[in-house]
Amino acid sequence: MRFIISVLAGLITGVISAWGIGGGSLLVVYLTAFTGVAQQTAQGINLMYFLPTSLSALWSHIKNKLVETKLALYAAAAGVLTAVTTSFLASGIDTSLMKKIFGVFIIIIGLSEVFRKREKIA
Amino acid sequence: MEKLKAMSPKIKCAVAGALAGALNGFFGAGGGMLLVPLLIRWVKMDERKAFATSVFIILPLCAVSAAVYLLKFGIDFMQALPYLTGGLIGGFIGGRCFKSIPTALLHRVFGLLLIYGGIRSLL
Repeated sequence: MRFIISVLAGLITGVISAWGIGGGSLLVVYLTAFTGVAQQTAQGINLMYFLPTSLSALWSHIKNKLVETKLALYAAAAGVLTAVTTSFLASGIDTSLMKKIFGVFIIIIGLSEVFRKREKIA
Repeated sequence: MEKLKAMSPKIKCAVAGALAGALNGFFGAGGGMLLVPLLIRWVKMDERKAFATSVFIILPLCAVSAAVYLLKFGIDFMQALPYLTGGLIGGFIGGRCFKSIPTALLHRVFGLLLIYGGIRSLL
């Protein structure tokens, strides 16, 4: 049963992730709040989870010619460097403090999602 | 400000990617939420393309960050497996029905869930 619920949690956040809205942060919250996983472990699981999720989403996105590959490579090259740096940084922070920092982060994002003027998608 | 606007799209993408990578590595999530608005408003990318392209950019960022987290925290693969399975299916479904989603409502619901989750994390 536990396994099925976990698959469902991954499935629902996976749909949202495919839309580029940010299912990952929801999965991290689910993991820490409902399954008692430590903050950074939840973050690590989410990072792993995004690999199959994004690959299966990209299968459609690339077929639909929605990916600007050339520009994306510049972004990815620069992003890989900063991502490694801050991942090491996060691994040095106390778990309970990290959970609080994460809480503040997602409240800010949540508020901006609720109140921001939406760009219309044609 | 004018200088920021005048940068070439390649440089803008590199800067946006660097910022998203930093955020995504630190929080293990959330890179896309910064990247999408930057691609739309700064790089002037078509909106639907920006969402799809951000998924493409975030993939390698997650891969390198996941490697660091695995190294530092030794995450149990069996613990992650059900989420990976669900994500694989969910990602596929999300990709397929990407063209027909009511985004405005979705963002509001998503925002409220995040605020709720954030408050829970603080308590």
